[in-house]
Amino acid sequence: MDTPSQTKKLFDAVLFREIWKAMKVTFKHMFHRPMTFEYPREKRTIPDAHRGALGLLCYDDGRERCVGCDLCEAACPSRCIKVISEEDKSMPLQRYATEFYIDITKCVFCGYCVEACPVNALAMTKMYEYSTPDKRTLLFDKRRLYEIGEQHIEDAKKYLYAHNQEEDDDESRAYRYHFPQPVGKAEVSDS
Amino acid sequence: MALKPVTTPDVEAATIQLSIDGETVSTKQGVSLYDVISRMGKIVPAMCYHYTFDPFGSCGMCLVLQEGKKAPVRSCTAKAAEGMVIRTDGEDLFAARKKAVEKHLSVHPLDCPVCDADGHCELQDMAFQHEVTNLANAKQKNIPEDTRSIVLDFNMNRCIACGECINICKDLLRIDALQFMKKGGFTQVVAKGDQALDCEFCGDCLAVCPVGAITNKFSKYVYKPWQLRKTTTTCNYCGDGCQLYVETKDTEVVRVTSPLSWKNKWGDRGDTVDGHGGLCVRGRFGFQFIDSKERLTEPLLRQGSDLVPAPWIEALDAAAERLVQIKGRYGPDAIAGLITARCTNEELYVFQKFMRTVLGTNNLDSSARYGHLNFVRAVHQALGISRMMNTSADMTKAKAILVVGANVTETNPVASVRIKAAVGTYKASVIVVDSMQTNLAKLASHPTMVKPGTEGLFVKGLVRSVLDQDLIDSRVAAQAPDALNALKSAAQAVCLETVAAETGASVETIHEVAKIFAEAPRAVVLCGEGIVRRPHGYDNVLSLIDLAWVTGTFHKPGSGVNTFVEESNEQGAVDMGVAPEFLPGPVGYEDSTARRKFSEAWGMDVASAQPGQSLVEIIENCRAGKIKALYVVGENPVATLPKSCGVEEALSQLELLICQDPFLTETAQCAHLVFPACTFAEKDGTVTNQEGKVQFVRPALDPLGQSALDWHIMVGIANGMGSSLPYETTQDIQAEIRKLLPGYYNLGQPQPVAADPTAYLQNGYQDAVGARYATNGRADGSERPYDMTLIQLLYHSGKLSTKASGLMEISPNTKALRLSLEACEQLGVAEDGRVRVTSDQGSVELGVEADPSVLPGTCAFPEHFNDPPVKDLVPVEVDPVTRVPYFKLTRVTIEKV
Repeated sequence: MDTPSQTKKLFDAVLFREIWKAMKVTFKHMFHRPMTFEYPREKRTIPDAHRGALGLLCYDDGRERCVGCDLCEAACPSRCIKVISEEDKSMPLQRYATEFYIDITKCVFCGYCVEACPVNALAMTKMYEYSTPDKRTLLFDKRRLYEIGEQHIEDAKKYLYAHNQEEDDDESRAYRYHFPQPVGKAEVSDS
Repeated sequence: MALKPVTTPDVEAATIQLSIDGETVSTKQGVSLYDVISRMGKIVPAMCYHYTFDPFGSCGMCLVLQEGKKAPVRSCTAKAAEGMVIRTDGEDLFAARKKAVEKHLSVHPLDCPVCDADGHCELQDMAFQHEVTNLANAKQKNIPEDTRSIVLDFNMNRCIACGECINICKDLLRIDALQFMKKGGFTQVVAKGDQALDCEFCGDCLAVCPVGAITNKFSKYVYKPWQLRKTTTTCNYCGDGCQLYVETKDTEVVRVTSPLSWKNKWGDRGDTVDGHGGLCVRGRFGFQFIDSKERLTEPLLRQGSDLVPAPWIEALDAAAERLVQIKGRYGPDAIAGLITARCTNEELYVFQKFMRTVLGTNNLDSSARYGHLNFVRAVHQALGISRMMNTSADMTKAKAILVVGANVTETNPVASVRIKAAVGTYKASVIVVDSMQTNLAKLASHPTMVKPGTEGLFVKGLVRSVLDQDLIDSRVAAQAPDALNALKSAAQAVCLETVAAETGASVETIHEVAKIFAEAPRAVVLCGEGIVRRPHGYDNVLSLIDLAWVTGTFHKPGSGVNTFVEESNEQGAVDMGVAPEFLPGPVGYEDSTARRKFSEAWGMDVASAQPGQSLVEIIENCRAGKIKALYVVGENPVATLPKSCGVEEALSQLELLICQDPFLTETAQCAHLVFPACTFAEKDGTVTNQEGKVQFVRPALDPLGQSALDWHIMVGIANGMGSSLPYETTQDIQAEIRKLLPGYYNLGQPQPVAADPTAYLQNGYQDAVGARYATNGRADGSERPYDMTLIQLLYHSGKLSTKASGLMEISPNTKALRLSLEACEQLGVAEDGRVRVTSDQGSVELGVEADPSVLPGTCAFPEHFNDPPVKDLVPVEVDPVTRVPYFKLTRVTIEKV
């Protein structure tokens, strides 16, 4: 094995060569773009197909999309969804979910529920900030899910688009299934 | 099975041979080709086919290729013929079937996510199987949903016009409440005449609907099939013992379904003689009492005038302590027990053992005392058996059925389908002797209306007529000539003209009916309330046995004397010996060998040899202060017996009244201690149906709140009293029953019974028969013009069904007296009018309801409702032999208010 000579060792010690070597790396990084960023002041751009927290969506006229068909519950591999449905007495033939729970601590973010949904009521958003000291709040109920959906509606639509589920609002209305009640566009008030 | 059902089960069609997919198959001529193929184990898709009715051929799915024909043929409507060569599979057939599915789908709304049938839909399955992915020219019907009915919703957008609902209603159930109607350019299923559906609401149409066109209003949109847990159990309402699937989600019952479904549509028409697998309105829609809010969830202990919740341990201790006290102070015979026949066999067994060994008394009775024991005691005495003689298959195959005083389509709706099948399929002569124009009377070949309470007299008239017309079976005359002579001389006391005048039926009718019954090769007698719950019930059953005996019924195949029971396990109560006169078996209590056997088996002395007291005596002795403690399990004598029995007063004399019930009943409100019991849907055990089938009851839910199984509570009290009943599971009790009554469970099949009247006819028959025929006519002598009967409704069973909100919606307490149209006119009351009904016992003001099935001169009120207290108008008469209380019939005056 080739060992450095005593002379070279002496030179290196006198000239602090090792420090220069290290400083070279340091100075090189002064001209780099930073690899990390200062979360939470800065946030990363997330791709549209990202699988984040689930949200429930409404049509643009404010009506709930979910018909309580329970296919998401059937599709869920970690069994974290529970749907309780009922007849919507105000409209003929209409069914809706009275209760909707997603235990997000159990969720594996596979996105099967979104794929199963026949009316694209479920979508994944770019939201991931829901850490909490109280685990019980991680059982998302219907109200929370609609809140998430409302806050992240644009992301949710992009998610559906990225996953080839829904092109635009028109398609969301005239979707794969014909329902007894057609869903109209949001009315634009004249005022 | 066959396209045209044969009219007698004994005629055989010619055997033929044909080739299916290269296999040679032999079958009967004229059978549907579809049946032949499915019996080979091949499944040809079909949506409109169900084996219970004739092929309809509307769906166009069951296509097969027949050699020599260019186009595929529908196998269901094609008849098998000699030498046919059939192919059931292939690309071309697949394509043709796919076309048919596409045709159905193109007008189907595809609202599967909303539809209740999603995941349990034949059209959905077919679409997957045939890989239908694209639909050209799909159009929508846009028909509004028909929600007029209170039970079923008809969504004709989803209908595929298979006609299964219509066919099963017409062919099998013979109700015929549905029809096709062309409306808005589409063929739709509507209730007859496009009115709101008003039928028996058995829901069999719902069961066979292959799509979601007919939906259940009580569970609409609240479930998806995959969320439900299915438990197979036995219905708790009547004695038919129908198998039902209780479907639960978490802790609630969502719906009840039955084996009848489009999912098992392959079968033999011959199999339906054992039942078609359907349910009645009570079974299918009367499940809400199970998870009712009114259920008791914790034990209650009386403190002053209130019942306050107490912990189990305290309540059980209190019960045990006070029972020990009373037993010590007054002796065991100061204690008595009553139990409902809705309990399982195991609970009934533990109850009688608890009463007889732990408490040491023979004062115990069950609700079988209200009528069924009349029948049991009579056949036990005369024929040495203890239940009805025939199976449901015998009923269907009978050539003559004599239905006396039994409104079976109301009381036992599913068993009555067997009689309807006898009428429809085998063209049996059905003789209905009843005081109401019952549903069965409308279908019967010989409807014979009699005045209420004269059914027994009519039977005596039939005996006289048989003797007069010399229709006596030759074997009878040879076997017991002395008994026959005794009967002949006794029957001289019966004058046919008097019978005709009393009953309202003509002498010719009596002769004709007697002739038909006596000459039928298979003759079945079916008696009901009109016999066993009317005065002289025991004697009347014996007269029926006389009739059966002289006409040779006991020698004929598939013939005999039968009854249907009101509560699910009345037969089990008798078999388990829950009556002072019987020990388990049942064997007579006076039988000392049997008593020794049970004493040894139980390791305790079976209660004293003296006969115990039955229901009415128990109540009387409570009032007299001789009985100090009463243990009531699920029974509700306060609400059942008329006020003149003084039940409430009697119970108030007691030092201790323990009630055990799922609900806080009227009786429980008087109790010192109330234990919360489970309903059948939380129980594990068996029940014996009227036919003798021992069937399983399985828990579909955990016990609600702190409620407990009935036998757990009994064992708890026994342990508290210091004597153990060594049971930990229901299986322990079953093992003991198996040991003591070998073959009782018999794998759920009825044990054949052999009726043998020989001993009865030789021992004392001659002496007894004279007295029996000497009492004729209705000896009430009342001047009041109307007969009022307390009737059972189709939609209710006892008081239990009034806790089921679904049934109360279908049939609420209308507080109305049912009167014939003529009587309404005579009294001058309109539909909304009110009348005052007065009997010797009191009077009550009621609304009026015109009921075409009520005969002139009679009126009726459902026995299920006590508001207003119509039952208190009826006097109580107690049978001298069987101590059965009769309180269903009285004479009243009706005045307009």
